[in-house]
Amino acid sequence: MNQLALLVALPLITAFLLPVVNRVSTLAARWVGPLVLLLTSAIGISLWPQLGDSAVAVELGGFRPPLGISLYADRMALLFALATSIGTLLLWPSRGEEWLRQSTLALILAASGSGLALSGDLFNIYVFYELVAVVSYGLIAARSSAGSFAATLRYLIVSSFGAALALTGIALVYQATGTLNLAQLSRLAPTHLNNLQGLSAFVLMLIGFGVKAELFPVNTWVPEVYATAPTRVSGLLAGVVSKLALLIIVRLLVLVFNQPEALTVMLVLGMLGVVTGELAAWRARDFNRMIAYSSIGQLGIMFIAFSIPGEAGVFAGLAVALHHLVVKPAMFLLAERWQGSLHRLAGAARTSPLGAALFVLLALSLIGVPPLPGFWAKLLVMVNLMAQENTLYMAGAWVIMGGAALEANYLFRVASSFYHRSDEQSSPAAHRTRDLATASLLGAGLLAGAVLIMPLADEIEGIASQAASKNRYVQTVNPEVLP
Amino acid sequence: MTPLDQLLALSALTVVAVWMIGNRQVTGWNATILYAAQGVLLLMMAGLGYGDVQSIASSVTFRVLGHDLHWRFNGLSWFFALITIGAAFLASWFASGEWGQRYRAAGGSLRLFHVALALNVFSMLVLLASGDLLSLFIGWELVSWASFLIMALGSATATRYAMRYVTYAFAGAMAVLMALVMVNTQSGSFEFQAFREAVPAMSDGSLWMIVVLFAAGFGVKMALIPFHLWQAKAYAETPGPGAAFLGAISSRMGLFALVVVLVQLISVARLADLQLVFPFFSARDLLSWVAVLTLIFATFTALRQHDARRLLAWHGIGQGGYMLLGVLIADDLGSAGGLMHVFNHATYQAVLFMAVTAVIHRTGTSDLNKLGGLVTRMPLSFVAMLIGIIGLAGLPPMNGFVSKWLLYRALIIDGSPLLFLGSVVGTLGTILSVYKLIHNTFLGQLRLEHVEVEEAPSSMVWPMMILSTIVFVTGYFPGLVLDWVASAQAAVGLPVLAHNLGGVPSHKGGLDMIWVVSVLLAGFGIGTLVFFAGGRSKRVHQLDNYAGGHFLTAETRYQYSDNFYPGLMHLIGPWYRKSFRWLERGVVSTVDTLAQAMQGLYRVVHPSFYLLVAVVSALTWVATK
Repeated sequence: MNQLALLVALPLITAFLLPVVNRVSTLAARWVGPLVLLLTSAIGISLWPQLGDSAVAVELGGFRPPLGISLYADRMALLFALATSIGTLLLWPSRGEEWLRQSTLALILAASGSGLALSGDLFNIYVFYELVAVVSYGLIAARSSAGSFAATLRYLIVSSFGAALALTGIALVYQATGTLNLAQLSRLAPTHLNNLQGLSAFVLMLIGFGVKAELFPVNTWVPEVYATAPTRVSGLLAGVVSKLALLIIVRLLVLVFNQPEALTVMLVLGMLGVVTGELAAWRARDFNRMIAYSSIGQLGIMFIAFSIPGEAGVFAGLAVALHHLVVKPAMFLLAERWQGSLHRLAGAARTSPLGAALFVLLALSLIGVPPLPGFWAKLLVMVNLMAQENTLYMAGAWVIMGGAALEANYLFRVASSFYHRSDEQSSPAAHRTRDLATASLLGAGLLAGAVLIMPLADEIEGIASQAASKNRYVQTVNPEVLP
Repeated sequence: MTPLDQLLALSALTVVAVWMIGNRQVTGWNATILYAAQGVLLLMMAGLGYGDVQSIASSVTFRVLGHDLHWRFNGLSWFFALITIGAAFLASWFASGEWGQRYRAAGGSLRLFHVALALNVFSMLVLLASGDLLSLFIGWELVSWASFLIMALGSATATRYAMRYVTYAFAGAMAVLMALVMVNTQSGSFEFQAFREAVPAMSDGSLWMIVVLFAAGFGVKMALIPFHLWQAKAYAETPGPGAAFLGAISSRMGLFALVVVLVQLISVARLADLQLVFPFFSARDLLSWVAVLTLIFATFTALRQHDARRLLAWHGIGQGGYMLLGVLIADDLGSAGGLMHVFNHATYQAVLFMAVTAVIHRTGTSDLNKLGGLVTRMPLSFVAMLIGIIGLAGLPPMNGFVSKWLLYRALIIDGSPLLFLGSVVGTLGTILSVYKLIHNTFLGQLRLEHVEVEEAPSSMVWPMMILSTIVFVTGYFPGLVLDWVASAQAAVGLPVLAHNLGGVPSHKGGLDMIWVVSVLLAGFGIGTLVFFAGGRSKRVHQLDNYAGGHFLTAETRYQYSDNFYPGLMHLIGPWYRKSFRWLERGVVSTVDTLAQAMQGLYRVVHPSFYLLVAVVSALTWVATK
């Protein structure tokens, strides 16, 4: 199980070696990054069956908590670490002039993302989170246009403030408990953090980490960044990084802060995210901003789902998150050639029939049309929201429904313009084979998910029940603590 | 494999086969044969239609997220499936000959058209087979998107209205999903049985919510008021045979779903207990009035149309009102009338759309102000349309009369004079507008540019003749259809109508169509005899005519069609206010304003300000806890 550390270490080392390798051979430097990511993905996949129903805690260097750095891998953590590797591989930066810098940054992103998913204590989480943030500034500024710099700067400001807030939250937790190890926190939380200080710490961390998870109202950077950054980077941020931030929040909720108030805050902010995001997307006039706003709405749904107490919430939220993890990057890959005004896209199906068909498929799944996986995820969320028999949760269900109705309208307005026979306008250029192939792969994954929904649902339920169990976490890390 | 499995498999296979054959002339013929085969498989399940077999299950079941999904056919499903496959068979036949050639030559893809049609049939069969609420929803969504596909094949107008349909339909689907989830919370599962058992325990408030959500969601498909704005133009502009198919059956899927939910599961008696204004107005009354108002509004909108296809499409919406009204009366006569009207409407609506498409095929237009006198050139199409409009107007000897008779009789027995009056007003509008349709198309003087026009090709005439025959024969012997209707009634727990081949026997005044039609035919026979035996008739040419006391020479073509019914329009013209269009625009601009505000929210220059606000307000909230 010590290979776990490789998921973090390998890409990190490669990233630092990349400039050196480039001196020796450019060809090697171009290929070593994807190959390493392929390797880490393979390692991750090979660990999956070993992990099975049991979770693993690894103390790096053999130091036991609370002193050492501990990695914790249950299936959820491994899943997101894998998603980071595979996602970075699929969305590997295109070959521009800046390819060396981009590749290096992408590798660091993969390393820190995996680290974030696997970390077992708050301090490491914070470090990896900062690393992810710094790397993403570099990645999104790659276009070197004025708009891109402005967007990056705004993102940088919000993100740094967010990180500072999160750090304040962590400090509050440390002040109350004297530890940052999640397992120990989990034991101490009921006595030490079940108070105003604990709730404040949670709120600070929620807002701090929420910056990356596109939480309302600290998500104002989203539309500009996604509209100006390279589309592959946007796909990575919207698809993978946002989920990593969400994962931290969910871990904190499950292990440390299971107060109902904490859930209420998340629910309300999630609802506001859906309302604002979907409405803004409805009026968006360019493709990237439209899917950026829609991603805000989708993340809002995830916050709503994770705010459902207990295992049901983790299950529902995980389902929506995984679905979004597949769909959004594919959308952004399609956006590569479809940037700019939506009017320009009339007749796009002629130049890119497969791209248009993929967009329709993704849109159908996103709004939740059966039998695509998006429907089952949405159904799960709705059923569990209703089962709470609480007015606020019921309102959440209504908000999700209304958002989906709006989303159907704006997505299919675009989709039907693709097939609109217009002769005078010039259609946008056809997609690059690489983008289209990757998007098709994700689309095929979606279809496979629809066919294999039964085993898939069981697997995700297993992952969720494992992740939602506080005792299992504590027991895995400190077997002697609990009988 | 059970017979249902075979049917569904063949239907899915049809989609694949048509796709494989591609954009060729033979595609249509192959599809037609495959629909015929589906029809044969359906007939092998005829036990369902005659009450011999209660239910045939599919062996395919799924268990997803702890919910069981299963499919089965009962009498109601069989009845609707018969209409669906029949309509698809004839529409496909109609599309296979010259129409298809011309469609392909004009740049249309026959592959897409036939795939869309086959997908519609398949999805409808899946919907009709649904055995629990979740499979009902899945079928519902499939049907919605399949019909979007076929509508989007039409002109730019059709695509625009199809888009509108997507908006309405998906909002409706979300309403249905919401209702399903509410039911699931209250009854613990998505099973029909569990829902039925949970209904008595549900509070009035939550049941109201569920009923309204279901009615709104499924009502979109039926284009019930106020969700009616999308349908007419979307259907009318769909490629001809597609319009015939959609007009015949597509929106009836909404009725099917409403029957399942409102009648079979909730029961009309429970609806009547849900009081809005005690003791006058219940949920049942509300829905009945929605039905009647849909009937009146749509019919009188049809009266104003200048385009034959739109006129028919608006009638399609209006006639749906009769069906829903009949089902809501829920006694043996009324519900039989409502359900039988589904069949009758499908037959005459399909033949009417086909006749109009035939006219378009030959003349290039369906503008009622640019046609006339075609009876001499297209006599068979004329006969088809004549039979169709008699059916639509609900006059003997066609089948439309029988279903309307049942409905009126039930309304009188039920003691609902106002609803009865509303229905009569609707029928009045129907008669006026169908006369406009046939007069402006076939009667009067032939236009100069149509002198060379010929009868429609046989690939179009045959389906029309078959449908006309069905319209007449099922009017003559309504018992043929009433058998199926009775098993459909039994399947959803409605009182079953006692009937015989000729109609409804009753000592309080039944209906015997064999007698009625025979007398009618005898009357015609005597008239014909008198006509031929009496001598003294003079043949005149079609153009030998006069107007306003002036003889008109053959050079002066005179066809009175523009500004039809000026006197009536003078009276009722101001009633057309486009209120619903205003309402829709109001909703859109509200959303637009809100959306603008939200975009403003995100277009902030100092994003960190929001961070500050969020932190301060969240911490304030924490402090108050």
